[in-house]
Amino acid sequence: MGAFLDSMLAGRDGLGGVRAEAAAALLRDGLPGPREEAWKYTSLRALEQRRYAPAPGEATDVPALAAFALPGVDGARLVFVNGVFQPALSDLQAAPGVEILPYREHPGQLDKDLEGHHGTGSADAFLRLNTALVEDGASIRVVAGADAGAPIHLVILGAPAAADLAWQLRLQVELGAGARLSLVEHHLGNDEHAHLGNLVANYVLGAGARLELLQVQDAGERATLIRRGSFHVGEDAQLAATTLEAGAQMTRHDFRVHLAGRGARLESRGVFVLHGRQHADTHMDVRHEARDTSSDVLWRGVADQRSRGVFHGAITIAEGADGADAALSNKNLLLSPQAEIDTQPALEIYADEVKAAHGATVGQLDEQALFYLRTRGIPLDAARRILVSAFCSAVFADLQPAVLRERLDELLATRLPQAGE
Amino acid sequence: MATERIQMESELRDRLRAPATGNEAVEAALSRRYDAGFVTDIESDSLPPGLDEGTVRAISARKHEPEWMTEWRLKAYRHWLTMTPPHWAKLRIGPIDFQAISYYSAPKGPKYKSLDEVPRELIETYDKLGVPLHERAKLAGVAVDAVFDSVSVGTTFQKELAAKGIVFCSMSEAVKSHPELVKKYLGTVVPQGDNYFAALNSAVFSDGSFVFIPKGVRCPMELSTYFRINAGHTGQFERTLIIAEEGASVSYLEGCTAPMRDENQLHAAVVELVALDDASIKYSTVQNWYPGDENGVGGIYNFVTKRGECRGPRSRIVWTQVETGSAITWKYPSCVLRGDDSAGEFHSVALTHHCQQADTGTKMIHIGRNTKSKIVSKGISAGRGQNTYRGLVKIEKGAEGARNHTQCDSLLIGKRCGAHTFPYIEVKNPGAIVEHEATTSKISEDQMFYCRSRGIGEEDAVSMIVDGFCKQVFRELPMEFAVEAKKLLEVSLEGAVG
Repeated sequence: MGAFLDSMLAGRDGLGGVRAEAAAALLRDGLPGPREEAWKYTSLRALEQRRYAPAPGEATDVPALAAFALPGVDGARLVFVNGVFQPALSDLQAAPGVEILPYREHPGQLDKDLEGHHGTGSADAFLRLNTALVEDGASIRVVAGADAGAPIHLVILGAPAAADLAWQLRLQVELGAGARLSLVEHHLGNDEHAHLGNLVANYVLGAGARLELLQVQDAGERATLIRRGSFHVGEDAQLAATTLEAGAQMTRHDFRVHLAGRGARLESRGVFVLHGRQHADTHMDVRHEARDTSSDVLWRGVADQRSRGVFHGAITIAEGADGADAALSNKNLLLSPQAEIDTQPALEIYADEVKAAHGATVGQLDEQALFYLRTRGIPLDAARRILVSAFCSAVFADLQPAVLRERLDELLATRLPQAGE
Repeated sequence: MATERIQMESELRDRLRAPATGNEAVEAALSRRYDAGFVTDIESDSLPPGLDEGTVRAISARKHEPEWMTEWRLKAYRHWLTMTPPHWAKLRIGPIDFQAISYYSAPKGPKYKSLDEVPRELIETYDKLGVPLHERAKLAGVAVDAVFDSVSVGTTFQKELAAKGIVFCSMSEAVKSHPELVKKYLGTVVPQGDNYFAALNSAVFSDGSFVFIPKGVRCPMELSTYFRINAGHTGQFERTLIIAEEGASVSYLEGCTAPMRDENQLHAAVVELVALDDASIKYSTVQNWYPGDENGVGGIYNFVTKRGECRGPRSRIVWTQVETGSAITWKYPSCVLRGDDSAGEFHSVALTHHCQQADTGTKMIHIGRNTKSKIVSKGISAGRGQNTYRGLVKIEKGAEGARNHTQCDSLLIGKRCGAHTFPYIEVKNPGAIVEHEATTSKISEDQMFYCRSRGIGEEDAVSMIVDGFCKQVFRELPMEFAVEAKKLLEVSLEGAVG
């Protein structure tokens, strides 16, 4: 057993039920190695050798509310600091028909939700780790026909502590038939800690439901963040997800969508902007399992300095899922000779009445566009920034409200190559 | 050439415009589904099934090979023993019993000194297959090396080519006549331990073609090898090595067929191409091994390692393949672009019908500056066929200005087939541009309706649409092969509609 699993699981003998099973499987199989296809481009060798203190650990410096507020995101608020729910910073007031249960205050609900999702995709090491040890997180349920109104803000914050911590969070989001929910998953932190975060989120969208999900990942630049979102999209339900990956030293984001009901629809927009020695690995896995389902995935990536960006975008159209319409596009900018981009769009198709297309590019800024801007008197540095920024913000084009879009553009701007670099 | 092509195409078009085929014509067409499925009745000299060091030594002894070659084989064999068969491909492969295969089979009798000594049955076999070995050869203007089971039975035009310094002979001959060249290049592109099937091939390879084009020579005619599996319970393990020295160029064609049998015969070949400065090699394959019957019984396992290395600056390697046969096709003709400004191309049509499976594609490894590669892959799945494109485009740190464009299209015909695309793109140089696009669709109702309304029968319409779909690749084939490839696709797709 490596130092990592030892530090996580030693002395945890009292686990029962699904937790014990998950821990045993994790000890048996360990973390995935480089020969495992899904981890081909992301090495866990360094992580395997690290030791973390078990969360919860006391946070020494928790920022004020204003530090993480986002304009236009003014519904209920759930704040987790180093993986621990903070009632004082949170606001659970929500629209009628919306039930928000933090697991720390409702441990019975956590056990129920863990049991409910036992066995689904359980071969994943980090899902097992989460199942074995998770104590915090929340369940959010919207009853049939209800509209949750203003976006719910889920803040996941890393704060300095006496030692580097490893925390587990679980999220269970269920939308009844025709329900509507807007949710913002917001990760942030500063560079004074190197915690490991492991978030597992399960989403169930009933018939005709609509979920708008915005993921802003701006975690501390020494943090490691593992996220796994599973979405079950029912008949005529819609999932619209927008993702920004800007923070963390190492991040792995699994995004699995099951378009399980007839007419289910996914729209995913995302961008990663990397610099320094950041490593970001995004795995989109879209499964068309019913007739007339559609998916539209558009992701962009920028890798500068010594960073490495990995994008895996798989579309599977199952037998019988006729009428499926799938499109995936992944465009990347490689800005430095030490950076690397690995992209892998994949199609697996078992039905014939389908339309499926994907495209991927890796390149650099258009010389002609740069030239044009320079002829207008814009210095080279500024011209490059304008073009990179335009390249990235295309993914936010449809995001509402405008003030939120502007805030994200500002955040992006701070991550782009700075003048003089 | 261009005018001939136009003429051929217009002929084909005329044929396609012919009135809708009646039932009789369809029936007749169906019965000739696999033309090459006959067995030639000829006595053969085979090693008993089984594989151990003795087998490797026995093959080497039969070919009267020098000591170094035997050692080379044994080294590969010992390495193979330490390896396990790979499982990562998207293929369902029945277990292969390597001890049940006979690793050497050759027509009985002394080695033929010239084509005149080749027995009539063999010449007839190749005539039936449309491969010109004799008088017709002169007309066709293509030099042929004919490989029957484990050995080469004859190579045409050797004298004419030798006058230009070109060596075109079987691998066994080359080991004896040009040992220095074989020693220098064999295994330098695909090393003995490269992968499971390449290691096996290195140990037991029986024959294949050897081509050497000296500095500055443009090969005056197309060179080709025709592979024929005849004996049962045998495997075919040929090894081809093509070397083009500075400024040389050559176009090489390869065709293959096998009898209809209900066993799965293994064909594990290795092809190595070496292009030095400014050299150009064009390698075209029309693969028509027996695909098995409608229920997936029998057929060839075609597990081949093909790789070319552009060693010198401005060199160029072009792979073109039309894969219509084999129960399972598993190969990735690749280019290592080491020389600056070198270029690699891969053009492929892969068709799977009935229970055929294909996992094929290419690797383009960009190492030199300003290297360019182009990939065009067309996959057609019909019946219960499973067709996978798997490719890698890798831009290494030093490959400043590298450029790649990849296009993968899949066509689905029928409810139970599958089409899959797994491209890998790895870029480590910011001066590179890599583009990949892929589409999957079926033949649309609109296209069919348009053709039908013009009085074109359903089968012909499908054939026309498929032809159009593949045109980009066929254009890369030498004309004789392009015509054959078109015919093959038509035959293979019969019964796919309706």
